[in-house]
Amino acid sequence: MTASTRTLSATALVLALGSALSMTAVSTVHAADDTMEKCFGVALKGKNDCAAGAGTTCAGTAKMDYQGNAWKSVPKGTCTTMESKTSPTGFGQLEAFKAKS
Amino acid sequence: MLKTPSPALDSRLPPKAGLGLKSEHFREVLQTRPDLGFFEVHAENYMVAGGPLHHFLGRIREQYPLSLHGVGLSIGGEGPLDVAHLQRLAALIERYQPQSFSEHLAWSSHGPVFLNDLLPLAYDEATLDRVCQHIDQVQSSLKRVLLLENPATYLAFEASTLDEPHFISEVIRRTGCGLLLDVNNVYVSCINHCRDPLAYLGALPLHATGEIHLAGFAEDTDSLGERLLIDDHGAPVDHAVWQLYLKVLERIGPVATLIERDNHVPAWEVLLAEARQADRLLSAAGARS
Amino acid sequence: MSNQHAFTAALLDPRKACPPGLVSANGAAPESRFAVYRNNVLGSLINALADNYPVVVHLVGEEFFRAMAGVYVQSTAPRSPVMSDYGDDFAEFIKHFEPAASVPYLTDVARLERLHLQAWHAADAEPMAQEQIVKALSSPTLAGHLKIGLHPSLRLLQSPFAVVTIWAAHQHQTPVPFEAFPAQNALVLRNGLDVKVFAISHAAHGFITALQQGVSLIAAIEASNDLDLEHTLAGLIRHQAITHLLAEQVSP
Repeated sequence: MTASTRTLSATALVLALGSALSMTAVSTVHAADDTMEKCFGVALKGKNDCAAGAGTTCAGTAKMDYQGNAWKSVPKGTCTTMESKTSPTGFGQLEAFKAKS
Repeated sequence: MLKTPSPALDSRLPPKAGLGLKSEHFREVLQTRPDLGFFEVHAENYMVAGGPLHHFLGRIREQYPLSLHGVGLSIGGEGPLDVAHLQRLAALIERYQPQSFSEHLAWSSHGPVFLNDLLPLAYDEATLDRVCQHIDQVQSSLKRVLLLENPATYLAFEASTLDEPHFISEVIRRTGCGLLLDVNNVYVSCINHCRDPLAYLGALPLHATGEIHLAGFAEDTDSLGERLLIDDHGAPVDHAVWQLYLKVLERIGPVATLIERDNHVPAWEVLLAEARQADRLLSAAGARS
Repeated sequence: MSNQHAFTAALLDPRKACPPGLVSANGAAPESRFAVYRNNVLGSLINALADNYPVVVHLVGEEFFRAMAGVYVQSTAPRSPVMSDYGDDFAEFIKHFEPAASVPYLTDVARLERLHLQAWHAADAEPMAQEQIVKALSSPTLAGHLKIGLHPSLRLLQSPFAVVTIWAAHQHQTPVPFEAFPAQNALVLRNGLDVKVFAISHAAHGFITALQQGVSLIAAIEASNDLDLEHTLAGLIRHQAITHLLAEQVSP
């Protein structure tokens, strides 16, 4: 890299930083609906406290529900109930799979 | 004015009822500060680097005594103990200074595989030696006494030469470890193996009891259509188990008692009500002794 | 072969007979008693996966998930008693699991759920105060050579699917309709006690990846085309993703 591009980048960076920092300062006041949030992404509330993933247990499982290896099911969760206007391929494949089974 | 030191700083669990601490109850506990003797957590759930689990346990620990209950050390395993796991336990004990540390008379790992269940042991001399060696190793490396929990089992081994209470007595005699008396496990195992629960209790060294567990079970049937009880911690404590608990308290006086509920966890108030029931029996036992 | 070896093998494979040497006091068939342990092991491991991958469960339905998880569990038993780590490679398994191929985005949703869980339990680190960041970045000669230290929970994922939208559609009591496209990049970050998931631009993904790899700020900027630097930096600062700044060693 040449000295001039580095200087240019550094100057551009400082300008950008100034802008970023002022946005940050503003957004602490208007956190709910500022445009930056939209640009950065979709912010979603995190999961609640019971979403820590699998925990251990020292207890057994009452219901004898393990069903061995028999393979017979097809996906039938939300992936099959959602309609997508823009993405025929993914769901088309699903239907093809269901038709086969 | 005399300042009462926080029970969180006591060296032992108080002879009161406690509850298993679940993440869905963190905020409830901190907001309502329920009158409970202690909380118990599974050590393995806190073997994570940081985040909300440590945040909440740290805050709750400031206010309550803690029992650290291990479910993954595989004390009865044929192979050597997992030293890395022992180190993780040591780090947790250092961090939270629990009043009690307990593990199970069972195995759960084989070679590199962890099976996530408490599996039964053949009660013979070889197993006895191995279990005692492992407990010696745990106690010397953690520099504290371990409470060993009697298991709930569904099977026995032809190779067994000792019965379970005598096996446990011998482990406690040789290693100096304490007993975590799970009264539900006593009942479940005795029904499943056609034994008399009172005789079983009578053969245990109850004087070594450092903590008691109470829980509910599920009923199934075996190939003969006979009652097979599953220790699923998914129901209120059974009447028969309360009765056995009373007998234990009559014999040894009040001891810290945990209500365990891991499946079909009911509303917080329902758990608290079960803890209150244990507290009433503990108080009565305290008044007698 | 040791007793526990045979016991373990039979637990993990329902086609195997129950190991020898087992008895029940009432004379019941040992198989009917052994089945309790097998059910405990396989059932609890399947439950553990369901707990770690709740959106995947929603996407394919409970029955399909449990069957799929059962296949995984038998091939990949845990290697540690720390169950929050269990299923680290479940997304890779799903990728090669043919019956799930009809849900092409399932693998990436599983990857995102894993990153979410990792962020949840990642090490704690204090975010750097905004004033400090301002101070350090306000010198043009210094700023370019800084390296940005990011929070240990920060995770990134690139996907050809709208992985954040699909994930977000399942964070409600009742999943809402979603569209599987266009492609999205995800940023996962724990801020305080909450884990958040963001959809970020392709350029921001590249830029933050470079920062995470320890590339200096200026080099990361120069390597990223079409980067909206202001918004990306502002986002990182405001969501407290920056924990420290390091001066790069400038070679003479």
